[in-house]
Amino acid sequence: MTTPTSGKTSPLHDRHTALGAKMADFGGWDMPIEYPGGGVVAEHTAVRERVGIFDVSHLGKASVTGPGAADFVNACLTNDVRRIQPGSAQYTLCCDESGGVVDDLIVYLKSDEELFLIPNAANTAEVVRRLQAAAPDGIEVTNQHEDYGVIAVQGSRSDEVLETLGLPTGHDYMSFVEADWQGRPVIVCRTGYTGERGYEIVPRWHDTPAVWDALVEAMAPFDGKPCGLGARDTLRTEMGYPLHGQDLSLDISPVEARAGWAVGWKKESFWGKEALVAQKAAPTRLIRGLRVDGRGIPRPHCAVSADGANVGEVTSGTFSPTLKQGIALALLAPSVADGATVEIDVRGRAVAATVVKPPFVQVQVRQP
Amino acid sequence: MSDLDYPDDLRYTTDHEWIRVGADGMVRIGITAFAQDALGDVVYVSLPAAGETVAVGDACGEVESTKSVSDVYAPLEGEVTAVNPALDATPELINSDPYGEGWMFEMKLADSSALEALMDSETYQASLT
Repeated sequence: MTTPTSGKTSPLHDRHTALGAKMADFGGWDMPIEYPGGGVVAEHTAVRERVGIFDVSHLGKASVTGPGAADFVNACLTNDVRRIQPGSAQYTLCCDESGGVVDDLIVYLKSDEELFLIPNAANTAEVVRRLQAAAPDGIEVTNQHEDYGVIAVQGSRSDEVLETLGLPTGHDYMSFVEADWQGRPVIVCRTGYTGERGYEIVPRWHDTPAVWDALVEAMAPFDGKPCGLGARDTLRTEMGYPLHGQDLSLDISPVEARAGWAVGWKKESFWGKEALVAQKAAPTRLIRGLRVDGRGIPRPHCAVSADGANVGEVTSGTFSPTLKQGIALALLAPSVADGATVEIDVRGRAVAATVVKPPFVQVQVRQP
Repeated sequence: MSDLDYPDDLRYTTDHEWIRVGADGMVRIGITAFAQDALGDVVYVSLPAAGETVAVGDACGEVESTKSVSDVYAPLEGEVTAVNPALDATPELINSDPYGEGWMFEMKLADSSALEALMDSETYQASLT
C-alpha cells in the first residue's frame, strides 16, 4: 500500500521503502506510517515494553545565532529560556499576537549566542519567517531543515541501544550532549514524544542513514522495532501530549490547551502575551482527556455533549493499545468536571466516556 | 501487494469483501486481505444481528482499526443467519486470518443466482492494480 506522494523525502526514505513501510504525507513530507510485520499496535507495544526507533527527520531545524540570541528568542517565544542552562532544551510555543499557536517547538540552548530550534515540519518556514522579520541587526535566523536528520530512540532499553553505538546516555531529561560518532557530529538529547525514557539523535542529513543502520542493528538484541508515525500518534495521545494542527493551532491557545506551564508569564514580553494574560483569567474552553467507557474510537471533530447539551469537540482521538480502549483529547467547556460522564458522537452513535486528567497511561519510568 | 492472497474458490465485491458459497444458498462473508492490510490493526467489529434481513449494499456493520473505520456492506440480499462470535474478543483475527477465523457473518440468500454478478479472484485482483 505504498502510495506515491509528491512530498519531500527524509534521508531515510530508501530505508523505509526497502522495509515495505506504508508511506503517507505528513506536513508535506512522505513519511512512514507503519512497517510490515508489526503495525501500529506492535510498534506501540515495542516502545512501551522495550524500545523502538522513529525517523522524525521531517521535523524542522533552524538556528538563531549572534550576540544576544537567547534574549531575542526569549522576547519572542512563550517559555522562559532563562529557566534553563546551556546544554538544556526546552518546550516552548511560537504564538501570534492574538495568542493563537503558530507552532510548538523545542529550543536547544547551546549558549547565549547560539540556539537550535526543532519546529514541526509544516510550520518551520513560518516560524523562521517570523523570527527573521523580528531579528535585530547582528542576529541571524537560518532555516536548516535539510541540514540535519532526526531519529528518536524511545523505550526502557534506549540507553543500552545508544551505548552499543558508544553514544552518551544518562544525562538529565531535556538536556543534550554534542558527541562524535565515528567521526560524525551528532547531538543526543533526552527528549521524546512517547512518555518513555528515550533520546532524540540529530545527525547531519547525509550521516543519518549510517546512524539509522547502526541503531537498527543495535536494537535487534532487545527486539526493538522501527516505528512509524502511526505508533508515534497513539503513544503521544496516551500521554496527552498535544499535536499542533489538532490540539494546538492558531485557533487553540496554550491557555486552552493547558500548556500554560510552557509560558513564561513573568517575562516582560513575548508574542501574544497580552491576549494570553487576558484569556488566562477566564478561559471559555479547555483541553481535557476522555476515556471511552465501552466500545468506540473517538476521532477529531466528534461532538461531545453532557446531559444532552453540546459541551465541545474532540481534537485528537484514537485507540489506546495499552488500555485497549478509545481515548481522546477534547476542547470542553470549563464547567465540565473531571470524572463526569459525557457522550461522544462517533459517526452518529452516542459513545459514553469519562472526563479524566491525562496522561491516560502511567509509564514505567517517570521522567523528572 | 504480492504477498496478499485471494483464494480461487471465493467470490469478491468492489467493497473488498469475499463470499464463500456453501450449500442451499448459504454464504459466509468476510473482508479481503487487501482490505485488512489497508485498514491496519482491527480493534473493533460491529456486525448485523442474526435474523436481520439485508439488501444489497446495506451498511450493516463497521470495522474499526487504529487508523480508520470502514462500513461493512451486505454483498447480497438475504437473511443473516450467524455472526462470528470470536470477533468480539479477538477482532485481530481479521488481520491474521481474513479468510478463515476472521470471517464476519453468514447469510441465507434470497436468490442464489445473484452470486453470478460477483467477481472471481482474477477479476478482483485485476481491479486492485
